[in-house]
Amino acid sequence: MNPIEVEHLRREFKTHIGVIRRKAKTVVAVDDISFAVSPGELFGLLGPNGAGKTTTVKMLTTLLIPSGGTARVLGHDVDRDPEPIRKRIGFIFGGERGLYWRLSGIDNLRYFASLYHVEPAVARKRIAYLLELVGLGDRGKEKVEGYSRGMMQRLHIARTLLHDPEVLFLDEPTIGLDPVGARELRHVVRDLQAERKTILLTTHYMFEADALCQRVAVINKGRIIAMDTPQALKGHVSDLSVVEVEVFGLPPDVLERVRGMPFVDTVSLENLDSRQWMRVQTRRGAEAVPDLMAAMSGLRVGRVVVREPTLEDAYVRLVGGEA
Amino acid sequence: MRALAINVRLFMEGALLSYVALFSWLQPVAYLASKVFMPLVQILFWTMLGTFATGRANASFFIIGNAVQLAAVNGIYGVTMSVGGDRWAGTLPYLFGTPANRLAMFSGRAFMHVIDGMLTVVMGLAWGVLLLGLDFSQANLVGLALAILITTFSTSGLGLLLGCVGLVSIETMFINNTAYVGLLIFSGANIPLAALPGWMQSISWALPLTRGIAASRALIDGASLGSVLPLLGGEVLLGAVYVLLGYSLFRWVERQAKRSGKLEGF
Amino acid sequence: MNAADWRHNARVALAAFDVTLRMNAPDAFVLFTILVQPLAIAVLAMFMLVARGAANALFVVVGSGMTGLWSALLFMGGNSINWERWTGTLELMVGQPTPISVIIFGKNLAIVVLSMLSMVGSYIFAALVFHQSLAIQQPLLFVMSLGFTVIAYVTFGLVIAPVFLLSRTVQQFQNAMEFPIYMLCGFLFPIALLPGWTTPFSYILAPYWAARALHGTTTGAATLSEVVLCWGMMMALAAAYLFLSHWLTRIVLHKARADASLRLE
Ligand SMILES: Nc1ncnc2c1ncn2[C@@H]1O[C@H](COP(=O)(O)OP(=O)(O)OP(=O)(O)O)[C@@H](O)[C@H]1O
Ligand SMILES: [Mg+2]
Repeated sequence: MNPIEVEHLRREFKTHIGVIRRKAKTVVAVDDISFAVSPGELFGLLGPNGAGKTTTVKMLTTLLIPSGGTARVLGHDVDRDPEPIRKRIGFIFGGERGLYWRLSGIDNLRYFASLYHVEPAVARKRIAYLLELVGLGDRGKEKVEGYSRGMMQRLHIARTLLHDPEVLFLDEPTIGLDPVGARELRHVVRDLQAERKTILLTTHYMFEADALCQRVAVINKGRIIAMDTPQALKGHVSDLSVVEVEVFGLPPDVLERVRGMPFVDTVSLENLDSRQWMRVQTRRGAEAVPDLMAAMSGLRVGRVVVREPTLEDAYVRLVGGEA
Repeated sequence: MRALAINVRLFMEGALLSYVALFSWLQPVAYLASKVFMPLVQILFWTMLGTFATGRANASFFIIGNAVQLAAVNGIYGVTMSVGGDRWAGTLPYLFGTPANRLAMFSGRAFMHVIDGMLTVVMGLAWGVLLLGLDFSQANLVGLALAILITTFSTSGLGLLLGCVGLVSIETMFINNTAYVGLLIFSGANIPLAALPGWMQSISWALPLTRGIAASRALIDGASLGSVLPLLGGEVLLGAVYVLLGYSLFRWVERQAKRSGKLEGF
Repeated sequence: MNAADWRHNARVALAAFDVTLRMNAPDAFVLFTILVQPLAIAVLAMFMLVARGAANALFVVVGSGMTGLWSALLFMGGNSINWERWTGTLELMVGQPTPISVIIFGKNLAIVVLSMLSMVGSYIFAALVFHQSLAIQQPLLFVMSLGFTVIAYVTFGLVIAPVFLLSRTVQQFQNAMEFPIYMLCGFLFPIALLPGWTTPFSYILAPYWAARALHGTTTGAATLSEVVLCWGMMMALAAAYLFLSHWLTRIVLHKARADASLRLE
């Protein structure tokens, strides 16, 4: 039995638009997805904003009832039989909400430990250990209202490990952490995996998924569009190279012209302050550069780099240049 | 002339603003709850307690007292909310920055609450007539309307002052709630003033509502407008004093804020 | 539930009790609800009831204390699930293994115990300012009645919390729900003053029986059998409330999981 089994899972939301003449509108957030996570596996859900990652995690953590399909966690149906699941899983949703701001970090943890039936003597040791683990060892006695976002996020991580859960759901666990904090957190996740915990992780960061996950599902507009190991996903783009061009003030029509060039696979654009990075995936490698330059003649162009594809490029290709 | 036009516009803008605030605050159900049901239960409770204590014959004393007391709901909560609302919306710095005549804007803000407060009092009296047999046959209606208007004005004056206190304190609601129950004790709505010790009576006469309630009781009993004129005149004056106090406090807050450069803190 | 479950649940209720006390003790709204307002009501009632003779001081102390208990329960207990939603912790509450009713039970217990200060405050005030002799006639029965009162209020609060989560309409009437209960439960005047059709409503409200027991034992007017009747009614109603709240909470949380309203966006 796999700890997480998802079959044809679906979830819609009914929302209202307009203030005066309210119209009902149905959004399909998760649209017929299926996957399974095996024991001890670290599985990544990767996708752009609004892809349906959080919605999926909420259904798996029994907080949201699916509109269709089934999901089983540790053998129990998330809709009909949520109680046994709740004892044995841990979850965090990125962000600073969900803590009692008027209590200290330690008091928050103590409270949650009792909710999760951790014996007081065990809880005391565990809280001290977890505070050290997430780097809050010396700040635990302070009230949470004085914490930074990153500290709150760390406290959430400690909170979710209190009862030593078998399955962990981490929805964007590194959001709001500084680079050092994020790196430390990835170490924690790796350690958890070494303890053979089953982990489902969502993230926007490709390198994070690449570094941590054994398998990744790329999800876009509620559907899984690819599911494989990071290596294999990179294989999707192994025949491509990436040309990165730094350009100042790229007009939309030029972008369209580049998109339309026959040897160009996908184009994505990253806007920086005064300049943009245009990333072109192409089969022609460095040979594509002269044609690209010709297409952009008259524009101020900065650096030009040709490199091997990464998981991120595979992802960009899968979601069609939107990320 | 031009200055007048600007002031009139500011007055209208203030009125409109608080009307909009009021309107969002009063969705139909919320309106029903706070403007129809709330007056009813409040009057019922105090009138029943009063008649339990002193006999059925005194019912009208409590009905009128508590109906007029309702003016303070708008005067205090409504007005403080539209003054203090700036702090939440973050527009206070912008407000301080305009050279406009703040008194005009201030009164504009209170204006809609005066109207709404009068309606609340009328609602309270209507409940008294419908459910509790309040006798209106002798009532001097014109005088009563004037008394209600004046009382609502004076409680709004207190509201302006409290609203400005709210700008510098974080416990706005605590202050408002305490002021409201304080008025309930001191205004004579439920306790005849003569039953209060002398020092408490002095406080009563320094607060809005006291004279307005006394005048309203007399007017419903058939008194002439002339006979309650001293009461009503006193109530108007008192209201004006509170408006001025509120205004001075506002100016002080403004100066402090500008000096410390911490407008956003408010 | 087995013994271990009971032990866990007791521990959770205690933790919720502790956390609620610590989060609410310094709050100005709480101060107003459990001390300022009941004291103001006590002052008003004391002056008003003077006409009926001095024997009423204890009646006022008990009655105004009961108003504080109810208002605190209404605003704090009634919003206890909603409050978790505002702070963003409701998802965590639903996703953890202890039944949420156990948590609300602990919270309500904290609120009710804290609001006992209402009565203490009124008592001290009446003794100091009005110089009334405040001897409780049946102290033992009174203290036992207080114990039953706590149970009655706590379980009543368990019913209100899911109702407020379920219906925004009902919640908008929250402010207007203080006085009707003051009246229906006979806190400060007998329900005989109310029209006859309201009596059944009084009878299904446990605070009514609590007020009757507390008033009766302070003045010594109640016979033992009457006090025992009040206790019995409180226990019966508490059982009914527990049943009702269990059912309501399940429905409400299921609905929230279905329409994604555990979290405010
Ligand atoms: N409670 C809700 N009511 C209505 N629509 C919702 C609700 N929650 C999510 N949605 C919609 O469902 C879709 C998927 O949202 P979801 O939060 O699952 O995305 P996500 O992949 O987690 O995105 P992000 O990377 O931004 O966190 C979005 O279109 C979102 O607007
Ligand atoms: Mg998300």
